[in-house]
Amino acid sequence: MIWFVAKRLLAAVPTLVAVLTVVFIIVRIVPGDPALVILGDQATAEATEALRARLGTDRPMLVQYWSFVTNALTGDFGSSLVTGRPIIEEVGAVLPHTIDLTLASMVLGVVVGVPVGIWAALRRNGAVDIAARLLSLLGLSFPVFVSGIYLLLLFGLHWRLFPVIGNADLSDFGDRLHKVVLPAVALGLTMAAYITRVTRSAMLHSLGEDYIRTARAKGVPWRRVVWVHGLRNASLPVVTVVGLYVGILIGNSVLTEIVFNRPGLGKIIVGALNQRDYTMLQGLMVIYCFLIVVVNLVTDLLYGVMDPRVKQA
Amino acid sequence: MTMRLRAGLLAAAFAAFAPAAMAQQGTLRVGMAAQDMGRLDPHYAVSTIDRVPMPWMFNGLVRFPPGSIDASAIEPDLAERWESSADGRTWTFHLRRGVRFHGNYGELTADDVVFSLRKAANPQTSAFSGDFRAIQTVEAVDPYTVRIVLQENVPNLLGILTNYAGGFIVSRRAVEERGEEFKRAPIGTGPFALDRITPNQSAEFVANAGYFRGAPQIPRISYRFIPSDASRDLAFQNSELDMNYGRADQTWVTRVRRQQGVTVDVFEPAELAIIHLNVTQPPFDDIRVRQAIAHAVNRPELVRWRGPDTSREGQSVVPRGYQGFSADNGLLPHDVARARALLAEAGHPNGITVRVIHTQLPEMLAAMQVLQQQLRRAGITLDLQVVEHATFHQQIRQNLSPLVYYSAARFPIADIYLTQFFHSRSIVGTPTAVTNFSHCGMADAEIDAARVSTDRAEQARLWAEAQRKLVGAVCGVPLIETLLVFARHDNVDYGYQLRGSMSLGPQITEASRLR
Repeated sequence: MIWFVAKRLLAAVPTLVAVLTVVFIIVRIVPGDPALVILGDQATAEATEALRARLGTDRPMLVQYWSFVTNALTGDFGSSLVTGRPIIEEVGAVLPHTIDLTLASMVLGVVVGVPVGIWAALRRNGAVDIAARLLSLLGLSFPVFVSGIYLLLLFGLHWRLFPVIGNADLSDFGDRLHKVVLPAVALGLTMAAYITRVTRSAMLHSLGEDYIRTARAKGVPWRRVVWVHGLRNASLPVVTVVGLYVGILIGNSVLTEIVFNRPGLGKIIVGALNQRDYTMLQGLMVIYCFLIVVVNLVTDLLYGVMDPRVKQA
Repeated sequence: MTMRLRAGLLAAAFAAFAPAAMAQQGTLRVGMAAQDMGRLDPHYAVSTIDRVPMPWMFNGLVRFPPGSIDASAIEPDLAERWESSADGRTWTFHLRRGVRFHGNYGELTADDVVFSLRKAANPQTSAFSGDFRAIQTVEAVDPYTVRIVLQENVPNLLGILTNYAGGFIVSRRAVEERGEEFKRAPIGTGPFALDRITPNQSAEFVANAGYFRGAPQIPRISYRFIPSDASRDLAFQNSELDMNYGRADQTWVTRVRRQQGVTVDVFEPAELAIIHLNVTQPPFDDIRVRQAIAHAVNRPELVRWRGPDTSREGQSVVPRGYQGFSADNGLLPHDVARARALLAEAGHPNGITVRVIHTQLPEMLAAMQVLQQQLRRAGITLDLQVVEHATFHQQIRQNLSPLVYYSAARFPIADIYLTQFFHSRSIVGTPTAVTNFSHCGMADAEIDAARVSTDRAEQARLWAEAQRKLVGAVCGVPLIETLLVFARHDNVDYGYQLRGSMSLGPQITEASRLR
C-alpha cells in the first residue's frame, strides 16, 4: 500500500512539471503587463521600467523559468507580484474555505445523488424515475449564479436564516458550518444531479447482471440484493465521477465563491489571471495540481476498498 | 420526530447562529466591488479599491476639506501654515507639533515629510513620481519646518501635497524597518490604523485614539471585498453592510433610493470618457474623418442612456469643474448629415470600417456599444476587438488601435489632464509615454506656458487656447462624464456633506459616526 502511494506520488512529478511549464509559458504569452496593473495608468514609462526590473519580469524567459523551478523545488513559491504577500500565506488563508465548500458539496451530492439514483433505477420508467431524471436535468442546467442568487434571496433576505456575506471566521466551527450551507447547496445540487444520473445508469446495468438473478434465486432479501450486490458493483463508476467532480469543484467553484462572497482558490486563480500575477498563478497551479493528484490517488485507493477484484499493483 | 418538530429545531439552530453573524456593534462595514486590495503603500495606491481607505490611514501636508475636491479650498493638514517666496519657487511648511504615527512609531517630524516626498518623487518607489517632476529639493530646515524648492513654477504645488496620491506622508522609520513588508503593514498618522488584512476577504481598521484632531467616533471599519454587484447589493439590503460601492447607472440609483432608510450619494470627481483618434494613422490622419466622428457622436443620447443623476455631457477635452476648464472651444455639434458629407468629401462615400481594440469590462463595453450604434448611423462601422482588460491596456499603448475609448478622472487642474493625454511628451510608445493616444502635440506650447505661469488670468487663457486647438483638431471627442456613487444606510453620518472625494470614496473622519 505504502509503495503504491509512493509510486503514484512519484509518477505525479512529471505531470506537475509539465503543467507548470505550460502555465509558465501561457501566462507570459498572453498580452498584459503586471507592472501596468500595479502602477496604474498615470505612471511614467520610467517608473514602469523600474518596476519591471524590480519584479524581474524584464528578465529572459529562461532565466525566469529556471529561478521559478529551483525556488519551487525548495518550497518557495515567492510572493504575489500585485499584493506582495507570500503565495503560501495567500493560499493558506483561503484553502480551508475551499476544502469546507468542496467537502460539504461532495457530501451533499453523494447523500442526495446516490439514494435518488438507486431509487430511480429500481422504479425504472416509473413516476419516481421520470421525476428524478427531470430534476437532475434541471439541476445540471441551472447555473450556480442563478440558483445562488435565488437561495440568497429566499434564505438570506426573506427568511434571514443565513447571511449574504459568506466569509466565515475559521476559528469558529459553528460560523463555518452556518456559512457553508447555502453555497454547498448551490454547488452540491449540481453534483447531486450528476451523481443521480450516473448512479441510476450504473445500477440499471448492475441489476441486470447474472449475479443479481442468482442472488434473488438463492432467496437473498431484496434490500440486501440492492444495497450489497447491486450497489457495490455499481459503485466504481460513481466513485470515479465523484473523484473527477471533486477535482473540478476545487478550481471551478469560482462562481459560487463570488456569489456567496466566500474566499477560495477558484476566486484567487481568476483574480491572478486578470491581474497578470504570474508568480501567484504559478504557485496556485502547483498547489492545484497537487490537490488533483491527491484526489485521484484517494479515488484509486477507494477502488480497492469498493471492489477487491481491483488490484493496487 | 414529526416534520414540524424537525423544521422547528432547524430554524432554532440557524437562529442561534444568525445574531452573531449579523450584528457587529460599533463597526462600520463598507462593501467594495473588488476581489482584494493591492499594495497598501499609499504611493502605489492606484486602483479605486486601494485609494478609498488611504485618507483613513494617512494625512498630507495639506488637504481638501472632507467632502470637497475644490482645489481653491485646500486647508492645513499636517502643516499648520505655510508661506511661499515672491517668485513662487520656494515654499516653507510649518508642521503641527505632537502628531503621532500609529503604533510605536513616534512623533511626525520634518524628516518623515522629506523622506515621504522624496519617496513619492522616485520612480523606483512610487507610481506618482511624474507629479513631482518640478520639485528640485525637499529639505528639513528644523524638526518642524520643511522647505521645498521648485525648478519651475507649477500650477498648484499645494495640489501635489494634498492627502491624495503622492502627497501622503508615511513614517520613515516604519518604511526602513519594515522594508517590503511596509506595503502590507503601512504606518501613517490618519484617524484609522490598519489592524489586519485577510486576503480576498477584508481589511480591518481600528480607530487611532491619539489622532491629532481627536479620537474617531467610529471604533472599527471593516472594508469588505465583494466583487459580485448582485451579492453586494443583497448584503447591503440585508443590513450586513452599512455602506456600498454603487454603480453609476440610473436604474441602480433609482432602485436603491427606493429602499427605506438609504441615501445614495453621487459625487465628484467625474470620469470623463473621450475617444482619442490617432492623427498619425489612417483613416484619422484626415481631419475630415475625425470631424465626421465628432459630428456623429450624440452626447445627450449617451446621458439619457447612462442616466441624468449620474452623468452629464462632456464639453471639452478636460472634465468640467477642473481649474482651467473651458467650454468655449468650438466643439462640433451632433449632425449625422454633416458627418456623412465629410466622409464623402474625404473619399469614403460608402462609409468606413475601423478596427478598434476595446476592453471587456462591462461598463466600458456597454458604453462603446452605444457609441458603435451612433457612429453606424453616419456610416462609420467600428469593428470591435474585445479583449480582456489588462490586454486592452497593453495593446492601446502599443498603438494597435487607431481609436481608443478611455475614461479617467485626474487631479482637478487642467494641466494634469492636458499633459497626460495631449502633450507630445506623453505619446504612447515613447520613453516618456503616459496616455497620449492621439499623438497630438499642437498645444504643447500653451500647456507648458500655462504650467509655469504665475499670472492666473494668463494661465486660464493659455489652457482655454490649448483646449480650442485640441478640440479644433479633433484629437479627441469628449463623450460623457460619469460621477461616483456610494449608498449608505441612514445610521451612517459622514460628519460632512459629500460633494466630492479625491480618494474616490467617502472619507471616514474623526467626526464620522454610526447612529
